Amino acid sequence: MFRAEPLVRIRLLMLASEAPDAALELARFGVFSPAAHTPPELAESLADPYREAWLDAESRVSKLVERCGNMGELVIPEGAAAPTLADLDELNAWLKGVWNTCLSAHEGEARIQEEIRHLDALEETLTKLERLNVDLAQLLRADGLLAVNIGSLPAGSVRRVAEALAMTGSLVTTFDQVGGQAYAVIAGPRDRHDEVRGLLSQAGWRELPVPPELRIHPQAARAWLAEERKRVEDMNVRECAAMDNLRGQYRSGLEEARLRVALGRPLAEAAMVGVRGRGGLAGLAGWVPRRRVEALKSALEERFRGRYWLAIETPRREEAAQVPSLVRYPIWLQPFVPLVKSYGVPRYGEFDPTLPFALTYLLLFGAMFGDIGHGAVILLLAASLYKKLGKLAWIGVAAGAVSMLFGLLYGSIFGYEDILHPLWMSPLHHPTQMLTLAVSFGVGFIILTLLVNARNQYTAGHVHEALFDSTGLAGLLFYLGAVGGVVSLAGGADLATPSWILAGIGITIVALFKWIETRASLGERVLVTSIETLETGINLFANTLSFMRVAAFSLNHVALALAVFTLANGMGTAGHWLTIVLGNVVIIVLEGGIVAIQALRLMYYEGFSRFFSGDGTEFVPLKLAGVK
Amino acid sequence: MTAYLNTRVSLYSGRLWQPADFDAVLAIPDAEMADALGSRGLPQLSAGFDRHQDHRSLEQRIIAELLDETTVLIRPLTGAARAFLLYWTVRFEVSNVKTLLRGKMTGERPAALIHRLTPMGAFGRLDVQDLAHAEDLAELLRRLEAGPYAGIVRQARRAFEEGQDPFILDAALDRGYYEGLARRAQPLENEAGASFRRLMGTLIDRINLVWMLRYRFNYNLPPAQVYYLLVASRYNLPSSRLRELAALGSAEAVLDALPEPLRGILRDAAGIADVFARMEMNGAEVAAKVLHSGAPAISRAFAYLILRERDLRSVRAILRGRHLDLPTEDIRLAMFQPEAFPAVAPTH
Repeated sequence: MFRAEPLVRIRLLMLASEAPDAALELARFGVFSPAAHTPPELAESLADPYREAWLDAESRVSKLVERCGNMGELVIPEGAAAPTLADLDELNAWLKGVWNTCLSAHEGEARIQEEIRHLDALEETLTKLERLNVDLAQLLRADGLLAVNIGSLPAGSVRRVAEALAMTGSLVTTFDQVGGQAYAVIAGPRDRHDEVRGLLSQAGWRELPVPPELRIHPQAARAWLAEERKRVEDMNVRECAAMDNLRGQYRSGLEEARLRVALGRPLAEAAMVGVRGRGGLAGLAGWVPRRRVEALKSALEERFRGRYWLAIETPRREEAAQVPSLVRYPIWLQPFVPLVKSYGVPRYGEFDPTLPFALTYLLLFGAMFGDIGHGAVILLLAASLYKKLGKLAWIGVAAGAVSMLFGLLYGSIFGYEDILHPLWMSPLHHPTQMLTLAVSFGVGFIILTLLVNARNQYTAGHVHEALFDSTGLAGLLFYLGAVGGVVSLAGGADLATPSWILAGIGITIVALFKWIETRASLGERVLVTSIETLETGINLFANTLSFMRVAAFSLNHVALALAVFTLANGMGTAGHWLTIVLGNVVIIVLEGGIVAIQALRLMYYEGFSRFFSGDGTEFVPLKLAGVK
Repeated sequence: MTAYLNTRVSLYSGRLWQPADFDAVLAIPDAEMADALGSRGLPQLSAGFDRHQDHRSLEQRIIAELLDETTVLIRPLTGAARAFLLYWTVRFEVSNVKTLLRGKMTGERPAALIHRLTPMGAFGRLDVQDLAHAEDLAELLRRLEAGPYAGIVRQARRAFEEGQDPFILDAALDRGYYEGLARRAQPLENEAGASFRRLMGTLIDRINLVWMLRYRFNYNLPPAQVYYLLVASRYNLPSSRLRELAALGSAEAVLDALPEPLRGILRDAAGIADVFARMEMNGAEVAAKVLHSGAPAISRAFAYLILRERDLRSVRAILRGRHLDLPTEDIRLAMFQPEAFPAVAPTH
């Protein structure tokens, strides 16, 4: 729980023809994270054509499934084998045929819908044309000097088109606008009509074919339109039946295609990282937990019966940056993981801060927002939003519970300090004690982070940094000495001399280390060493004082409640209770939010920044999609 | 934030190349090229420099360099200024759209097609995997129309469906892009004033004039159609002037009828490439003046990006020329030619 599981690198060499099955087996195994490995003897990117064919198939299956509606959850049978490249090519050919059939059917549907919309527009147009009182037969005569077009174009283009058409002596008159389409009549000299048509084709012009009936007798067009509408609706019924038929016809084939795509996914995904090969051999590399190596060997042996070669290597210390981190968390700790990972992923071998983060975060939140009533509201609210927030709701529940616990210790319920006797102390009545406690907690926290950092540096092979750097043991010596010195000055202990000696030794070691580590001219070296050494002291001092906010917020909580009570006491009964309720809502939302952020800030900046590099790589195993 | 951006632009302006830098890079041996590029503010080109790297990879690195710098310049911006600089990067994605469309027209395989696209990093808004796997052009256009560039693509699709002409598709996409750019520039022209307007003016005037000459006299399109394909303009060559120019019968007549100072700049221009080069040179001079003036930060940032892109185009010409073993004089000639980044200098 405090560090990533020990991993080993495996290199699996097998027959190229069995690579899809090997990847599938590793995906079934569940804890194999592929990694790049390019030995010179395996120079070819063997699985790239496979990945390409798989992507084609996956894209087509997704499109078809989308058209077919819900196809239910995919169940992958236990012993199913992965498709070969030839299988995928064959599948692609079939899927392409099906897609083209479906596409033409779908486009048929789309064309019918467009035709229906067109008829609607035509009907509207006819109404308007009737009102225009124009002899359309005369206007649309093919042998007239005037060429006339009636149709629609994007409304935003009308001005530009009108300007351009003016250059051909044509006029544009819009007579309607539906949505983004403007309906217009364009009239101009017939001898320049080709120019007009060329331009209109670029402007997204859609001609409205005025039926011959309209040209003779506008009322006759109504009957014609009704007939057209019936014809289109009949077509629509036929197309829908055809689509349903297609869905039925291809459904089982599509189920099979989904299965094949799911079985091919592991090798296609591994190919992204790199599956190398040469001739008839293929190589897969990646990481597995050490504790599962024997299980992996058995699984491979059972599946491939000796037709493979497996190399297992423990990563060297200097390779730590390349190794992914696999940490297993108990279920109650999992909701806190995203908060830690939003800062960064622990590097392999690095101390995983999730557990101390969770405990300290809750402790800080409770200490800053201790109130039985407010905590209960947060707890109930988080519990009621469980379905919406998922695991994250647990953080709210836990924070609410800790807030209630501190409420008991502080004797505070909805800001009332006189209902319950505090089990420990009321922050308002013991501010100095609260501040001292907060700073003491900060000292303890910083000491812990320095120790953890020294351990992390040591594990990563940075022994000098672990011992002599400002965030290593030398920094810790200085900090312990400085804290002892300050406590002695304040009269809390009688250790002034040994403390300052300890601090002096610590800071001298830090300064010497900085001096040795700085590769620069003498002047620059002096400057860097003095500034960085000074920064060590200032940072530790500032970070310690930063914890005073814990006490400040616990006081702030009571002070805000007092302000609400003062306002409420100046009002009548109804106003009093309304102010109390609204005031408590404001405290919960506003102060609760601020305290949640402050606790996070303390963890990130005073804690994580000191010891947590957060530049690790997550362990992403190959997985089978669609398994129940 | 303005102070930050101004300081940033001033620091960046030190990266712009002087003629001596081009001469030096033209002359140095290959072994020193990576260091020379790195020391002249081109880390993306310097890292992994290989004389024989393919043309596409070089183009991608150059664009990555521009996007990196744009990311830094955008950081302190908000509102219209931010929207404008973000949209300035969209032309690389429009270029990707064109690559996808051409790839689908020729039935190119998805993997090869994706390999040819410019990686847009955080600026990318297209799902290129999904688009590259469209079965055909019609499906690709429909998918594009459901995406972030629907406005640009919709009209292009309709125009293409009417004419089935790839040229129309390219022309409609370019026009759609620059119309969008001019629209986003308008509020900044009011806020940032004359300096920004001058920069936009040199850009849009150049695009309109070069397109007009090409459509009218290379492709012999009728005047009305040419005018329609140009970007609506409010600069030195406003729409009313463009209409008059498009109606003229020869390129010489168009150049003679231009207003000053364009007529002086383009006097005796030898062909469309020369018109482009001269107008671009004029644009670079204007940008340099704006960059070194006390103009608002957004104007200076835009001026820097224009100049930087011009420099990088020349660097690209040098590297490609050396890759092809061209004589130095030929490389020099190619350095400021128009066939550079798509959508800045249209390829159709």
